Amino acid sequence: MSVFSSLYLVLAKVLASVITQPIKSFISKRVDRWLSKRVPSNVEHKLTSRNIFIMPTRFGFTYLFFDVLLFLLGTNYQNNTILLLSYLLASLFITVMMHSFYNFSQLTFSSSPKQFTFAKQQAYFPLTINAKKIHFDLNFLFSAQKKRSITLEQCDLGTSQVLIPYLASKRGVVNLGRVKVFSEYSLGLFITWAMLDFSHQLVVFPQPKKLNNSHNYLSSLEGDDEQNPNIVNQTSAGTDDFSELKNYVTGESQARVAWKQLARGQGKLSKHYENQQGSLRWLKLSNMPSFDIETKLSYLSYLIIEYSKSGLDYGLFLDVPTSVENKNGAIKIMPNSGYQHQQACLIALAKFNSHEVG
Amino acid sequence: MTLNVTISDKHYNQSFQLTHHNTWLLWCCQLINIGCLASEISRWMLAILALCLAWQALLNIKKINNSYANALNSQTKISPPLLTLFALSGCIAIGATANNLGVLISMVHLLTFAYVLKTFEIKQRKDFYQVCLLGLFLLASALIFKQDLLFSVLIVFALILNLMVLLQVSTPTQKLLASAKTVTLLLAQSSLLAIVLFIVFPRLSPFWQVPNSQSAKTGLSDEVSPGDIANLALSSDLAFRVDFNGGKIPQYDKLYWRAMTLENYDGRKWSRRQLENENENQNKLFLSPKLFTPVTLGEGLNYNVIVEPSHQVWLFGLSVVTTDDPNLRLMDDYTVQSKTVLSQISHYELTSYLESPLDLSINATQKQRNLAIVKGSNPKLEKLAVELQQKYANPVDRSNAILAWFREHQYFYTLKPPLLINNSLDQFFFETKAGFCVYYASAYTYLMRAAGIPARVVTGYLGGEYNNTGGLDNNVPNAIQGGHLSIYQYDAHAWSEIWLDGIGWQRVDPTAAVDPQRVESGWSNDLLSQQLSLNNDFFGLSQYRKMAWLNAIRLQFDALDYQWTRWVLGYSNAQQYDLLKRWFGGNIQWKAAAIVVATLIIMMTLFIVLYRVNTKLFKRQKVEPWLKLYQQALKKLAKKGMVKPDNMSPTDFAIQVNKQHPKIGKPFTELTTTFELLMFKKLSDKQQVRYLSKLKFQYSQFKKV
Repeated sequence: MSVFSSLYLVLAKVLASVITQPIKSFISKRVDRWLSKRVPSNVEHKLTSRNIFIMPTRFGFTYLFFDVLLFLLGTNYQNNTILLLSYLLASLFITVMMHSFYNFSQLTFSSSPKQFTFAKQQAYFPLTINAKKIHFDLNFLFSAQKKRSITLEQCDLGTSQVLIPYLASKRGVVNLGRVKVFSEYSLGLFITWAMLDFSHQLVVFPQPKKLNNSHNYLSSLEGDDEQNPNIVNQTSAGTDDFSELKNYVTGESQARVAWKQLARGQGKLSKHYENQQGSLRWLKLSNMPSFDIETKLSYLSYLIIEYSKSGLDYGLFLDVPTSVENKNGAIKIMPNSGYQHQQACLIALAKFNSHEVG
Repeated sequence: MTLNVTISDKHYNQSFQLTHHNTWLLWCCQLINIGCLASEISRWMLAILALCLAWQALLNIKKINNSYANALNSQTKISPPLLTLFALSGCIAIGATANNLGVLISMVHLLTFAYVLKTFEIKQRKDFYQVCLLGLFLLASALIFKQDLLFSVLIVFALILNLMVLLQVSTPTQKLLASAKTVTLLLAQSSLLAIVLFIVFPRLSPFWQVPNSQSAKTGLSDEVSPGDIANLALSSDLAFRVDFNGGKIPQYDKLYWRAMTLENYDGRKWSRRQLENENENQNKLFLSPKLFTPVTLGEGLNYNVIVEPSHQVWLFGLSVVTTDDPNLRLMDDYTVQSKTVLSQISHYELTSYLESPLDLSINATQKQRNLAIVKGSNPKLEKLAVELQQKYANPVDRSNAILAWFREHQYFYTLKPPLLINNSLDQFFFETKAGFCVYYASAYTYLMRAAGIPARVVTGYLGGEYNNTGGLDNNVPNAIQGGHLSIYQYDAHAWSEIWLDGIGWQRVDPTAAVDPQRVESGWSNDLLSQQLSLNNDFFGLSQYRKMAWLNAIRLQFDALDYQWTRWVLGYSNAQQYDLLKRWFGGNIQWKAAAIVVATLIIMMTLFIVLYRVNTKLFKRQKVEPWLKLYQQALKKLAKKGMVKPDNMSPTDFAIQVNKQHPKIGKPFTELTTTFELLMFKKLSDKQQVRYLSKLKFQYSQFKKV
């Protein structure tokens, strides 16, 4: 008997995977296609009858069932007051539907499409809400990550901002898909929702992994000298050795202003320095003390942050190990310092050999 | 703006917590919901419920204290095994008493018990919703027992409170008053469709038999001994109402509402004889019962009677009564009965022929029955009867002699008669000489029987309070027309009937001989104060009579309640059919459906219009008062031909005005300066108020110019 039942279970599972799974995916594909036509991607969305969906919640259906029960009670007792109560509750259902819809409509949302974060760290997408009246009980979540939602209990007139959380688990570039905004105002009988596409994209940097002796990992690019003379002969703007004076360009650091020349009346000039080739300013993927490429990237991520903090110049060279299938080729970012440079390096780490996810 | 980040498994399974004030709101809501049913719940159950609620309150206080101290996860919940044990023992107790309570009341007990217990374990949103629905169901079931206007209004308030609890979940930031407003708005918007549904939605007959409440019987009983009706006299509950359909209402002393005749006397109490056609109906259900059709004479008086539930079958009418109502049964003693026990407010239509005689001839057994006395139970009365019989040959004279006796021997009509030993009529008649209607009716009937005249006691109600407050014929002076009569339990009365050859049963009310006012216009003030002292009721009837305005309010409310009873509670299948036919003619079903749809559309459009207007009002409110004043000033200037270009600053415009009309320019420049201060500087509230009043003054100066 137990054999049969277990067999039956297995059969049911197989059947489910064979039949329901494709149907489900088919339906969700169709829904996606339909949604993308109806609510196309945009930086700003205004909630109207075009993009608002409304459905009774489970409580709503229970309420209706309960109302039918009341009707039966009133009919069986031929009790007009109970009947009146049941009619009142039934029409309340419709009124609440209208209220739910109007609580939700006419909101305007806008959001910037791109954000950066480290893996396994909460990222927050700021969403700007513009309201012309008071709205209640607004909830936000990414349809890709339904477990994390944020609730705005009362949205006042004017502009306000919410941060929608997203927890990225893996390094890479993630398309977050649609933001689901929903509300169960006013009595929880109806859920109104909208699926808004802001083309949200999250660049997830590798999770930084601590390395001791972080200064020992700078290296020169000697090995590449012969292979790639073009790169070697390039000079890059650095901070070490003074090379020349150029006319000052607004926006350049005050530290680079040649004060002596300025005092002599030669005009405002800025000092320019040059890094020498072959010096130890490169962070190399192959130098990282691990066999796993993801761990290596995590180390690099840590080092980039550390170096940026201490204001050192560094370059990034993502050389491709022979065992890994090469897609993008080696990536080289010239030594530099500053926030922009750090971001550029981290983005390179995030994008290295990864598919776009989402 | 209140932000609340919830990172949780799923929206529905998340740990659900009510805000503090919502917890208390739910608690109050429970208290009121149970309070609506309190009169139906037995005492021990009420004690358990009170205990649970008190416990709940304690937990609430603890929870709030804990959250202030930031110490979460302490014991603010009862352990589940304890709760299960409690629930089980409660259910067993309800089961054990189910036989006494009856099915319906047991169900109510179970429902309230579940309602209170469920609140102990609100862990998820789902649990909370269950509690809310249970609460609404409790309210609905309270309406099984009571449906009068006052109670219905109470139920609506309770409904608002219940919905407020629900609303607070999605709007925890809203103030209670604002929530109440929102819910009232929701209900008001829903009421249109609800009323239309009530009017046009087909009324179905009951799908299955439902248990009825086994409430205590109220009103008259079929056995009466001296002392019984006094209990009714203390009650100010409504017994029934009568509407004469705008016709002329007979005088007070003609309004003898007969309920039953009491023909058997066992020496202590009068009781009802099992009537012949009553037996037949009960035993041979499928044989056509022998119908009693009274002989009628003269002009008929048509009226509607609306009876409060009495859980008995007696109905009330002025003899001689006829009816076409299939639910009623005419009895051979000229009374009317309902075929079913009256557990709901019910209507019936009667026609009375006041001049018709009752039973012109009676047979020997009837005569015998109405002459029977228990020999030797009241020897003095029997002796008096024999004397009377010898003295007066004419039965009418015999009767009058007794009435004269009552008048002459200082009998006293009182609700507080001295106790009689063994209900001895002798003692009453010759010694105490004080009592109320049943005493006199008993003694009189006994005397008549002993004197050889067939006589019986009749119980029912006398008179009624005329109320034309809500009527349409208010401007007709002294018209006893329109309006309705309300007959209360204290109008219960007993009188006698004697059978006279050629006349039939003749009504004789010995009370009239003792206290004529009682029979002619109702209770004397003396009786009222007696009732009040016996009743311990703060707002007794006499209190009402003393304060005219209070009585006016009471009558007004009675009229409202009557309309409610008549139009809402009494709206039946037949009435619906008539009404719809009158309004829409044939093809009712299709038209009814069309009306429902039309109402739905009207409701939605109304809603949209209201909403639009609301937002416009809202926007208008946003305009600051100083801007409004300034704009008014600009309008005035525009009339004089000075229009401010949109891109010009107020100061520049003031300078320009000053150039063109220096006279107007001066006050306008002052006004502009204050306006700019208010508009563009950050001011404290106090400063704002000060400058605003300054601006108002300047505006009035400007207006003068």
